[in-house]
Amino acid sequence: MLIYLVKRLGLSVAVIVAVIPVLFSLLHLIPGDPATVALGPRATPETIARYAAKMHLDEPVWRQFLIYVGNALTGDLGVDVFSDRPVTTIIGERLGFTLALVCAGMGWAVVLGIPLGCLAAVRPNSWLDRITGILSVGTIALPSFLVSIWALLIFALHLRWLPAIGAGEPGDLGDQLSHLVLPAFAIGLSWVGYLARMIRASMLEVMGENYIRSARAFGLRPRRVVYGYALRVAILPTITLIGMGFGGLISATVFAEIIFARPGIGKLIFDAVMARNFPIVQGAVLVATGLYILVVLISDILIAWFDPRVREAL
Amino acid sequence: MAQIGTTRRRFLASTAAVGALAMTTSPRAAFAQGRVLRLRQDADNDILDPAYMTGAGEIEAQMACLPFLAEYVRDGDSLGWQPSPYVKKLEQRDPTHIDFELVDGLTWTGDNGAVTAADVKFSFERMKTGDWSGYFDALDHVEVTDDLNGTIVLNQPFAPFIMVTLCHGPGAVVCEKAVTAAGGKFTTEFPAVCGPYLYEAIPGQKVIFTLRPDWPGPKPAFDRVECNVIGETKAAELAFEAGELDCTAIGTDTLARYTKAPPDDVTITVAGELQYMWLGMNTQHPKLQDKTVRRAIQHAIDVDSIIAGAFSGTVTKSNGIICPGLIGHRDDTKYYHYDPQKARDLLAEAGVSGLELTLRTLNWQERVLAAQIIQANLAAVGIKVTVLPVDSGPFWEMGSEAAGDQWKDLEIWLMRFGTTPDPYEATQWFVSSQVGVWNWERWSDPEYDRLYKEGIAEIDDAKRRDIYLRMQDIMEETGAYVWIDHEPEVYAHTDTLIAETTPAGDQVHRRFKDA
Repeated sequence: MLIYLVKRLGLSVAVIVAVIPVLFSLLHLIPGDPATVALGPRATPETIARYAAKMHLDEPVWRQFLIYVGNALTGDLGVDVFSDRPVTTIIGERLGFTLALVCAGMGWAVVLGIPLGCLAAVRPNSWLDRITGILSVGTIALPSFLVSIWALLIFALHLRWLPAIGAGEPGDLGDQLSHLVLPAFAIGLSWVGYLARMIRASMLEVMGENYIRSARAFGLRPRRVVYGYALRVAILPTITLIGMGFGGLISATVFAEIIFARPGIGKLIFDAVMARNFPIVQGAVLVATGLYILVVLISDILIAWFDPRVREAL
Repeated sequence: MAQIGTTRRRFLASTAAVGALAMTTSPRAAFAQGRVLRLRQDADNDILDPAYMTGAGEIEAQMACLPFLAEYVRDGDSLGWQPSPYVKKLEQRDPTHIDFELVDGLTWTGDNGAVTAADVKFSFERMKTGDWSGYFDALDHVEVTDDLNGTIVLNQPFAPFIMVTLCHGPGAVVCEKAVTAAGGKFTTEFPAVCGPYLYEAIPGQKVIFTLRPDWPGPKPAFDRVECNVIGETKAAELAFEAGELDCTAIGTDTLARYTKAPPDDVTITVAGELQYMWLGMNTQHPKLQDKTVRRAIQHAIDVDSIIAGAFSGTVTKSNGIICPGLIGHRDDTKYYHYDPQKARDLLAEAGVSGLELTLRTLNWQERVLAAQIIQANLAAVGIKVTVLPVDSGPFWEMGSEAAGDQWKDLEIWLMRFGTTPDPYEATQWFVSSQVGVWNWERWSDPEYDRLYKEGIAEIDDAKRRDIYLRMQDIMEETGAYVWIDHEPEVYAHTDTLIAETTPAGDQVHRRFKDA
């Protein structure tokens, strides 16, 4: 297990190392002078020059890259070119909101999707299975931004059951939770379908195994057979899916954060790209990438922990 | 096997804990007290310092928390100024001297003492080296007579100084002692405030203005103003309709919807129309060097169709660069009207057929729609147009010589500028020295340059009107412009509220009141 851990960590570091130059290059491929776009068309040449210097845009590209990598390695993501606040502070203020949203979105998808998948697998081709199948495919096909808009229009605007915008009053947990419901619903809905389909397929395979037949032959209750034995094996590939899903949800939060006017990493990156605020973009994308890799790493380690065959496969 | 279930539960518990932790880490637990006004601003305030600020939200914060010498006032359809509540007197003694007397008893927060004429001197003279120095080009210095009295001395007559400089964000007065102690500039926090409200910001969420307990001036109608940070106008409109905002800026399509079927309990307030949009033509491009061709294009475009089709009739038709309500606003065009037959005749006169042009525009919905209508208009007279929507980055460099030679390929484009409540600013972008900078049409005219200088120095309104009317005649006569519209800054708010804004659309929190 230790060797696997070391190898897997090494792979994660390699991924980050590969991602950094790609991110850096993509940012510099965006058309338009960053300082001009950031400051608006009326900025004076002196102001543009000062901001360009702050973003190191007056340096050769290779040197900009070295400065960026060097700072990132020491945990210094630079300062916001406008407010002069440390990028790490700005990211820190938003990261919690994104994590809360992603966890809530995936959380309710797991709570609903896994039992639905199990029920569908226990009674294949039943009306429950068919309805679950239709709903699953339906929710998978719905883009989260569309669900966000509909949810907002129906539950906030028309019914006025839930708040439309913001993240709630700081310090008021109830208010914050009520502000979390609609965006979490919007980004988690498609994952209900994904998870239900995944669990159903895995469960159908596991339910045909000899040890399940033996458990039934011993007279164990069906509920115990399904949730106590079959699901524990069938859920293994789903853990990988959930890990990947967290990464996907970090991207999906961009729309939810914009539509529901929530603070978060996605909206921070979006606004920073539009304003060509390079230090924020570079820092936030790096953190988001690191998060994604971390979650995938955790899910891989979990799988390896549960299934020794995986440890030897890397 | 037991490990599997346990681990999953542990994992779920951990994620729930992280979520809960993320929501409860903020130490702040402020709740609304007294009368609360809920507004929207489109971004966080990054730089509150008037000398280095970036945007509208910052100006709104300055107007709530810092003294100004003058403020805008509306008189019917026209705009003017009046002394602010912070001054007893503000008078233009002659074209280069403006006397002021501060109200006695105004104090800065903290141990920063009273607001003095020395603060005014410090505030204005530091602006000459800041990012907004253009507003203070005409300032020579500020003479301090005593603690409360002083004189603003201009280096040349500059008629718009009060309207454009003193009423607007750059005219905010800061505390010399506090700003100096802060290192000479500040960003996300005011070193000291002197206004009816105290300032607090929760990044990414909201900006909160709470009533200053010891404020000796006029008390605002609201004890607390919460400005929710909502980037997208559409999201803000939905929040308003959901009852979570009392007032918000709205877009043209929503304005059209509200105009057609006004919602209950909602009132529309037009802040101002200080934007002017036009179709520009590069007079140095080989296809457009012939003025007859440009005149043909002027006659071929049906601006009324653009206003109806792209803007749902919610904008004011433009006849020049001077916006409605300002000195020099034109009632009609002088050298062209929509006349497709005349356009065809002019093209024939120029010996041009099969002309193909590229129309560049920002990739915004209304702009692209407008471009498509122009495309159809020009197709009707035999000009084939390719519409090229462009992102804001490359768009704002298209005609700039500093950005390379791409200006040579620029043919026709849709452009919109914003301006201040004085005609001088709109005219400054088209003088000879601006060719290749903002004068992308690339023409120059000595008379225009001379009139620009005269307009700045002239303080007689009637003479200024004549000057700016003539300048627009010169522009139109080049054939390089088709005036399109003046888009308004529009706010929707509850009908129990009177929304107060500057002509540029900045919300003046302290002047919001009950209807």
